Amino acid sequence: MDLLEKLDQLRARGLEKINAAADTQKLNDVRVELVGKKGALTEILHAMREVAPERRRQVGQLVNEVRDLFNEQLAQTRHDLAQALIAQKLEAEKIDVTLPGKRLSLGAKHPVYLILDDLEALFIGLGYQVVQGPEIETDHYCFEMMNLPKDHPARDMQETFYIDNENLLRSQTSGDQARVLEKHDFSQGPLKMVGPGKVYRRDDDDATHSHQFMQMEGLVVDRNVSMSDLKGTLEMIAKHLFGADRKTRLRPSYFPFTEPSVEMDVSCFNCDGKGCSICKETGWIEVLGAGMVHPNVLENAGIDASIYGGFAFGLGLDRFAILKYGVDDIRDFYTNDVRFLAQFRQEEK
Amino acid sequence: MLVSYNWLKDFVKLEVEPHALAEKITRTGVEIAEVKHPATGLKKLVAGHVLTCVKLEGTHLHQCMVDVGEVDPIQIVCGAPNVAADEMVIVALHGARIAGNEKIKRGKIRGMVSNGMICGLQEIGFSDSVVPMKYRDGIFIFPEGSDIQPGEDVYHALGMDDYLLDFDITPNRADTLSMEGAAYEVGAIIDQPVKVEPVSLKADGPAWTSTLTAEVDAKLAPKFYLRKVTGVKITESPLWLQTRLWNAGIRPVNNVVDVTNYVMLLTGQPMHAYDARTFKTGKLSVRLAKPDETLTLLNEKKVVLDPADIVITDGDQPVMLAGVMGGLNSEVMPDSHEVILETAVFDGTLVRKSALRHANRTEASSRFEKGINWDNTQKALDMAALLLRNEAGATILDGVLKGSDTKRKPVTVKTTFSYLNKVLGTTLTTDQVVTLFNRLKFETQVARDQLTVTVPARRWDIMIPADLVEEVGRLYGYDNLKSTQPLLAETQGGYANFELFMRHVKHFLQGQGLMEALSYSLTSKARATLFTKAVQPVAEVKMPLNSSRSVMRQNLLTGLVDAASYNFARKETELAFFEQGRTYDHADGQFNEHEHVATLYSGHVYRNNWEHDEAPVDFYFVKGQLENLFTTLGLTGIEYRAEKITGMHPTRTAGIYVQGDYVGFIGMVSHTLTQTEKPLRNSELYGYELDLEQLSHYLPTSTQAKPAPKFPAMSRDLSVLVDQAQSNQSVMAAIRQAAGNYLVKLSVIDVYQGDHLAAGKKSLAYQLTFLNENATLTDDLVNEKMAAVTTALETNLQASVR
Ligand SMILES: [Zn+2]
Repeated sequence: MDLLEKLDQLRARGLEKINAAADTQKLNDVRVELVGKKGALTEILHAMREVAPERRRQVGQLVNEVRDLFNEQLAQTRHDLAQALIAQKLEAEKIDVTLPGKRLSLGAKHPVYLILDDLEALFIGLGYQVVQGPEIETDHYCFEMMNLPKDHPARDMQETFYIDNENLLRSQTSGDQARVLEKHDFSQGPLKMVGPGKVYRRDDDDATHSHQFMQMEGLVVDRNVSMSDLKGTLEMIAKHLFGADRKTRLRPSYFPFTEPSVEMDVSCFNCDGKGCSICKETGWIEVLGAGMVHPNVLENAGIDASIYGGFAFGLGLDRFAILKYGVDDIRDFYTNDVRFLAQFRQEEK
Repeated sequence: MLVSYNWLKDFVKLEVEPHALAEKITRTGVEIAEVKHPATGLKKLVAGHVLTCVKLEGTHLHQCMVDVGEVDPIQIVCGAPNVAADEMVIVALHGARIAGNEKIKRGKIRGMVSNGMICGLQEIGFSDSVVPMKYRDGIFIFPEGSDIQPGEDVYHALGMDDYLLDFDITPNRADTLSMEGAAYEVGAIIDQPVKVEPVSLKADGPAWTSTLTAEVDAKLAPKFYLRKVTGVKITESPLWLQTRLWNAGIRPVNNVVDVTNYVMLLTGQPMHAYDARTFKTGKLSVRLAKPDETLTLLNEKKVVLDPADIVITDGDQPVMLAGVMGGLNSEVMPDSHEVILETAVFDGTLVRKSALRHANRTEASSRFEKGINWDNTQKALDMAALLLRNEAGATILDGVLKGSDTKRKPVTVKTTFSYLNKVLGTTLTTDQVVTLFNRLKFETQVARDQLTVTVPARRWDIMIPADLVEEVGRLYGYDNLKSTQPLLAETQGGYANFELFMRHVKHFLQGQGLMEALSYSLTSKARATLFTKAVQPVAEVKMPLNSSRSVMRQNLLTGLVDAASYNFARKETELAFFEQGRTYDHADGQFNEHEHVATLYSGHVYRNNWEHDEAPVDFYFVKGQLENLFTTLGLTGIEYRAEKITGMHPTRTAGIYVQGDYVGFIGMVSHTLTQTEKPLRNSELYGYELDLEQLSHYLPTSTQAKPAPKFPAMSRDLSVLVDQAQSNQSVMAAIRQAAGNYLVKLSVIDVYQGDHLAAGKKSLAYQLTFLNENATLTDDLVNEKMAAVTTALETNLQASVR
């Protein structure tokens, strides 16, 4: 057979073999067989002696062309095989990205503390100090300093847990006011404080009563603090907590430690003031009590009430949480049911 | 108090409709909790004249023919026991609506057509507590002489077309617990004149005051006035009087009792009427009760009197608990002809305590305890006598017996216009302020900035300038005040350092995946001192609501175990809680409060794990969480000592010490506890509790930065075989001591005890990391240190090192 014919056949057969190689091992075998030192092309080169000298050059060129072709094809196939291998490996590594993640437990803030922290941040921004007093309070600080002497009828209004004749579980955070007033040095600037904390009343627990709850006391005293300042501050609190579109109203009220005393209502969230069962058809919901510090409270703490005056307010944090989040049973705050607590995570800001 | 809108019109011209008036009063004076309109929802209720009434044999029913103002009388079958011919009654016609939105239709009863229903008062919406006793179990019968015709709507005659404003008063505004007081308040609010008329009374009987001596302790009863009337005919009161009482929530009884209640509603002065036969010895005294004296009250409650109760006596026996309620032994009876009327001012505090002590608060006692108008004693007495002349045919004997008659000076309060404006934040003129006081009918005297206000006795709540601020502020209108922020010297808001620290701990724990719990501070005596290393005397409340909430907790973990139990019972067992709060004790004779934090874990490290990587929460997981907390706080020198704490697992609990001081504990809740709590049975709860005040003492002050090390560290592994009883902590301490200062990190990399080791032995493997911050460490030096460690372990701990 003519060498050229042989070369033609080898080219065809070689390409077929390269293409048929299923893996790199087989491809290597084919490479050795075709272009290896003892491969088919080498064999053809060895057979050059049989070719007429004037054609050797042409045949040699053809052999080189076939070698180049083979090498090129081998490289391509090697690349393809490698790609296929990677693809295969990646396919093997494939995961279902829609399966859920592996989760550690997720923390959450208690709803009453959500309200507390929110208000603390608001007041700190306004220059208030956060102050905490004792929960086991003396009758002296809880009542007498707050203008509630022993026989004051308002003491019946709040049933108190007494420990002994002098010590009690505070029924209001107002005692913090007295303690701070006694200590404050007005030459160092005005007094602005909020006092958050637990308070206790001898109430049987039910949907709307709790023997323990959280209050925040606020107090601002200086030479020029007016009831208009109180009004502005209370409106800011109400709008901060319940939304800028809430209407507010102040009503005269009575607390022994403030005079004048007021309560603030906000327009009902449920009916927007039209009247519904939640607001007892009044269109208003009571949210807090406040007033101008009673001169007796100032004098009891050794402050000259003819010079200094100010306002105080008391915020019921549980009540705020109830109103803001639509909770219908105050006991839900104290049973620590994880299903209940988990829902407030998104409220954190 | 329920204030009648229609009655109010007797005193003040009202051009504002009831609901708008209520809103005005609420914003300016007293909260109106509700405006009631008794006729609301009622329809087709008319007066009917029973023409004939035939009892149906063998039933309780009556066949009645009733004139309801139509051409022909209608037939109604009625089951009420007190229905009879010739009565004027309330008829619900066919198509009527009665209480509870119930519809009345023509129907048949026992085969007889009934064209409606004859009603009792409860059936048309009256509260059981105001219905006169004789109509309580039957239909209502209009008293003779009532101004109503058959067929006429009943609402007006029964006072149901009225609007009743529920004055939800605060203790300082008891002046509005009377129609006159309410009228003054409303007049001031709507700026209208108030017409309160004096009583002028001419006695028509002989003088009587010499027939009775009244010995009155003026400290107990500063004012004590009596009048006597004779020839009284006890009957049912006229309808106008009854409607005013029941609209105010008071049950009509008879004309004498009703008159005293009416006068109280009108003037705010509580009254009492005695059967004059009570004082047949001619003596009366007002004194404190003697020990063991008893009195049966009008409501048939027998009380053992307390030496702090004021009583009125017949000279010997108590006949009335002063200011609270009369005694049965002096009650006005159907056969009473002579009546002694009393108006008095009693000591409010003593009356309040009496009413509380005997659980017998009344309309009268609630007025005395909040204060009454000292100026109304005479007027109320005369008014009652006058009404008894009109309504009970009484003859009024001449003279008022005054057992005591303490005078009170009118209160004057001095202030300045500038003070009023400063406190309110207003710029009111002198005229504006004076006009407001004129509306209140307070006399004013003005001298430039000085203002002197004379306060009438009916406003005994006003005593100091701040009270005047309130009057001016509320009448000017809180709505009209500006809304401003205090303009004060700058203050820096913020937390005290310890408050910051507590909040940092809370935020960190929340970030670690713990849910914040909030528990009650009061718990049972037993639980209060669980989980407490050094139990202190407890703080216990005197009158607990129940024994499970009687003692202030000395630990927080109790609350979290309760929370776990609650959640386990609801099949929620994957828990990670923390609580930050106080513990309380009574150590060293004083009450102490300590800020603590506690955590509780149960279930698994991962939640909802489909890969079955079910690592349960265990001691070491929780300890790792705690160690991270300590690291983030920068605490060093922490030591864990196996320790027994009540309530905790005895061999899985450690006391935590910082620089030698106890700060808390970590471990597993004891089986004893979880086995006795049904939902927690067989569960493993882990947690820790820390005293944050203790911890705060060891917090580093501030960080002084140093550059990251320039030289590489070198690590060596070490395997140590020791007795099982030997703690890791002791091995590590020995390694640290021997390894010197270049040892910067020491970690446990393996713990093994089991088949391949000798009995009673365990193998601990450590990685030691050495670093010299100033130079490259040599192998030789590290080898030297490792050799020293080996020697130390072998000699001091009898360990073998591999
Ligand atoms: Zn509403």
